[in-house]
Amino acid sequence: MSTPEIRVNDSELVEPVAVHADSRPSEWVMMLREAWRMGRTKIGVVIFGAIVAIAVVGPWVAPYSPTEFVAPPFSPPDIPTTWFGSDYLGHDVLTRVLYGGRTVILLALLATIIGLGLGVTLGLITGYARRWIDESIMRILDVVLAFPQIVLALLFVSILGPRLWLIVVIVGVSHAPRIARVARAATLEVAQRDFVRAAEALGIARWKILFNEILPSITSPLLVEFGLRLTYSIGVIAALSFLGFGMQPPAADWGLMINENRIGIVIQPWPVLVPVLLIGILTIGTNLIADGLGRALIGIERDTGVG
Amino acid sequence: MPPLLKLILIRIGLGVLTLLLVSVVVFVATQALPGDAAKAILGREAANKDRYEAVKEQLGLNKPVLQQYVGWLGGVVTGDLGDSLAQGSPVTGLIGRRVVNSFILVFVAALVSVPVSLILGSITALRRDTKFDTGVTVGSLTLAALPEFVIGIILILLFATQVIKVMPATSRVDSGLPILQQLELFVLPALTLTLAVAPYITRILRASTIEVLESEYVMMARLKGLPERLVLNRHALPNALAPALQVTALNLAWLAGGVVVVEYLFAFPGIGSLLVDSVANRDMPMVQAITLIIAAVYVVANLTADILTILVSPRLRTGLR
Amino acid sequence: MTDKDRQTSSGFEEIGELVSYKRFSRRGLLKGAAAMGAAAALGPIASACGGDDTTSEETGAAAAEGSPTKGGDLVVGIVGGSAKDTADPHTGSFEPDIAIQYIMYEGLTMWDWDMQVQNLLAESIEPNDDASVWQVKLRDGMVWHDGKPITADDVVFSMERIVDPKDPKVGVATLTGVGPGSTKKVDDLTVEIKLTEPNVILHEALAERSCKIVPVGFDAKNPIGSGPFKMVEMKPGEQFKWEAFADYWDRPPYVDTLTMIEYADDTARINALQSGQIHAMSQLPKSQAKVIESTDGLALLNAETGAWRPFTMRIDVKPYSDVRVRQAFRLIVDRQQMIDQAYSGLGAVANDMYGRYDAGTPDLPQREQDIEQAKSLLKQAGYDNNLTVELVTSEGALGGDEVAAAQVFAEQAKAAGVTVKIKKTDASVFYGDDYLSWPFAQDFWATRSFLQQASQGTMPDAPYNETHWEHPEWLSLVQKAFTTVDDDERAALVAQAQEIEYNEGGYIVWAWRNQVDAHSTTTTGYKLDKLGGPIGRMYFKDVYFVKG
Repeated sequence: MSTPEIRVNDSELVEPVAVHADSRPSEWVMMLREAWRMGRTKIGVVIFGAIVAIAVVGPWVAPYSPTEFVAPPFSPPDIPTTWFGSDYLGHDVLTRVLYGGRTVILLALLATIIGLGLGVTLGLITGYARRWIDESIMRILDVVLAFPQIVLALLFVSILGPRLWLIVVIVGVSHAPRIARVARAATLEVAQRDFVRAAEALGIARWKILFNEILPSITSPLLVEFGLRLTYSIGVIAALSFLGFGMQPPAADWGLMINENRIGIVIQPWPVLVPVLLIGILTIGTNLIADGLGRALIGIERDTGVG
Repeated sequence: MPPLLKLILIRIGLGVLTLLLVSVVVFVATQALPGDAAKAILGREAANKDRYEAVKEQLGLNKPVLQQYVGWLGGVVTGDLGDSLAQGSPVTGLIGRRVVNSFILVFVAALVSVPVSLILGSITALRRDTKFDTGVTVGSLTLAALPEFVIGIILILLFATQVIKVMPATSRVDSGLPILQQLELFVLPALTLTLAVAPYITRILRASTIEVLESEYVMMARLKGLPERLVLNRHALPNALAPALQVTALNLAWLAGGVVVVEYLFAFPGIGSLLVDSVANRDMPMVQAITLIIAAVYVVANLTADILTILVSPRLRTGLR
Repeated sequence: MTDKDRQTSSGFEEIGELVSYKRFSRRGLLKGAAAMGAAAALGPIASACGGDDTTSEETGAAAAEGSPTKGGDLVVGIVGGSAKDTADPHTGSFEPDIAIQYIMYEGLTMWDWDMQVQNLLAESIEPNDDASVWQVKLRDGMVWHDGKPITADDVVFSMERIVDPKDPKVGVATLTGVGPGSTKKVDDLTVEIKLTEPNVILHEALAERSCKIVPVGFDAKNPIGSGPFKMVEMKPGEQFKWEAFADYWDRPPYVDTLTMIEYADDTARINALQSGQIHAMSQLPKSQAKVIESTDGLALLNAETGAWRPFTMRIDVKPYSDVRVRQAFRLIVDRQQMIDQAYSGLGAVANDMYGRYDAGTPDLPQREQDIEQAKSLLKQAGYDNNLTVELVTSEGALGGDEVAAAQVFAEQAKAAGVTVKIKKTDASVFYGDDYLSWPFAQDFWATRSFLQQASQGTMPDAPYNETHWEHPEWLSLVQKAFTTVDDDERAALVAQAQEIEYNEGGYIVWAWRNQVDAHSTTTTGYKLDKLGGPIGRMYFKDVYFVKG
């Protein structure tokens, strides 16, 4: 069954048969250049850069330690000592916000990289292997696709407990089938091209052809995928922390902050509102970048005559 | 056998296969649990060897794994999902009402989001590059990026606790009262789901409609000089029907997963919030049952989308002949 | 399985075992109860908890508002509940079960809100000279919820039901000396209990929630009790409903009906209280006290108790086997800060000794945070800024406030060069194979006397000796105290034993925890319970709606 996945970017709707005619390893550079011309990409990059900057620099400029008690629990903002007040234990909200972005971004990046690595490997294999291997791998991927990402993660958390490596791996694995499809479609197309045929005729090992010839040719659609999957990774990983299955106390983490402080939302909304906004802005940023890349890719394909 | 029927049957067959494999994953996953279910049930009393062995026997844990799986699957098919560890009574009885609650929530959300995405999707496709289109596109791009809980919390802050306090912040639906008397409890969760799913679907629909409008036969029809209205009604719309039906199915598939976080956020008594509680309590029979239900809804919705696409899409049908 | 591990960390923790000791008189239990005579458990209950006698533990408004109004439907929200909920007062141990026990059943005697025993169904309860035979006289004219009279037969039936050797109930552990056949009917309103061994505090044991009296032929599916509320609806896992029992032997309740709704989620309960869907809620998370206080129309029920939730150090494993490490850890704690941050200030500083209301508890200097001293002790023990320990906690087993306290400890320990890694576990893991063996963890205990607590947690044969406490000198003191009848002599022994634990023990007893519930100010008349039971131990007979 080819489960039609839920897709958001227009780029995905075009069958991701990606690269055409001649192989230009610099095609993805063209795509980036094209994407950068679009306002949305610029805005996305600026937003993403700003949030990453907060996450990276935050701990250096934070006024307190993230576990230090600065006020009674759920105290309202008191400028200039506590800009956003205190959380459920009396920690400084601003400080915890400044510390709490690293984990979300890092874990989401890791999960996306795992998903990309796994997905690309599977995509290349299925796109360039014998039919029965292709068929069986795709069936297995359908099983992973049968679970909404958050449900798959919850199933495994219920068994092994809330562990960070587990969450990263599961979110990565749940991306893999979707990425594998894109990679497979691209591989199928590239595999028909002359330079691959030529390499095969020369008797070069298939795995070498895969990684030396085909992989570089399908970089562009994979970049688009990366942006898109990163957006989802952030959402799922933050959601797991929000449900209480991600980062554990006393860690400062945006998702966890929302969970811990939700109960005080009536008297002290800041420890919930600020992380919520930052997560939201971050995903908007990555989504804008992914959208820009996707449009650029379509544009390039049109220009090269197919699309 | 006509090729169309064959294609559909293959799809259904693969769907059943997927569901079977899903049940294997769910079952095997719970087998990997450190310790065993008997210990989980008994707690400290597991030290009592006699009771431990008795409970193991009762749960069938002494049988070979394959036999256990077949027994479990047989139970699933006949509606016997085992006993909840946390509640001590059959899972089927405990989730029944929650399934209904979740279904109503999903239904309300779909009732709003399907027409909204259909209308917005097709208008933006037809009026491409107008201000309206740009506005909707930017809005949907932004909303589609946001995780459900972000949307939900912003709605709570806006309508329940901070800005205008007109809505309840939590939605404890009382099973004893008719749903119509507590409709307000559905408003914020359903709105959250709608705002999360509608932009998604709008964007898909816009793209596929544009694809149809730019397809060769619509171009041909235009070139033949047919009036635009006729082009749309005769040639474009039938092809755009596929995406429309797909939208509905995709909506349901997405909502099956989306309810988990949204129900938890609003303390809404459905299967999503029950899943979160059960994971926290490591109530494995409950986790098994709910993940299986959600996966089944997801697979069936996607399968339906697939088949509907095959059925209504003239191009696909033509391609088959 | 004992009562303890079936209970969640509710405010009802173990109050059912409050009198499971037997070798010392009630006075040891109650600080400042000296005026009480040996058989003080007399006076009719009406004077202790009747509506016209507004005692200090009632919420203030009650007295000021003048005469209570009648009528209205009272709704309370509690946490927890499942399909396992039972209306059988002899078997239930979870929060909803216990609430049901207090709402609709009565014992022969009861603990009042100052921890004194009062007669309830019994008009009198008298031991013979060596307390081996007790005679109980019932009040005349009392009826069950189904209208049948309450007689000696019912008392015999209930006692036999509890001590049934084939199916012993929870209360059997408290009813020392009572066996099958011990209870005999004398006449319609009199029974005689012949004990297998003397028990001077049987009247206290009978006050336990697990020793309620039920009618002959009791069926938990169709529960009949004698209390002020009569059950009319039973939906386990959802809600229970009662009507005021018009034929109650004392003044019937002011409200018409009482409904108890079960919530899984604290946020939902607070929301329900604010929106008026419920009038009172038990077990308010302490961080929410401020929300309640700052909200018009809501009020706190903030009860001082002797309940404590210690950090537990096993004295037989490194590094805690070194007494200097234990002392250092106790000096690390800034107790007031811990109360302020983890309990939102709702508790009183404790001093590494338990038995808050025990007459024997000595008045030793309050231990304060002293990081320098802690560091130097750790250095002497060979840990110079390089000690890393794991602290095991569990939200499911102990509650969120204790996880917060663990975090506060971890933060405070940093200053002394100790790295505390918090290990959050599920309740099932916390109470799993390693329960009572965790090197460094937390636990919860209810209000108790020192000796009773020792028999639970620190004696060599105590079921919950989680610190693996073993101290020959301490033991000989405590054993002597258990056989000492004279109150003053016993108190002196207790004081010496407590001092040993104060200096060398494995507990960090940092706070007496307040029991915090909340109610809407449209209702009043709730009790404040020293025992630590929620919403004044689920006592709603005196609650009424405020006019206007």
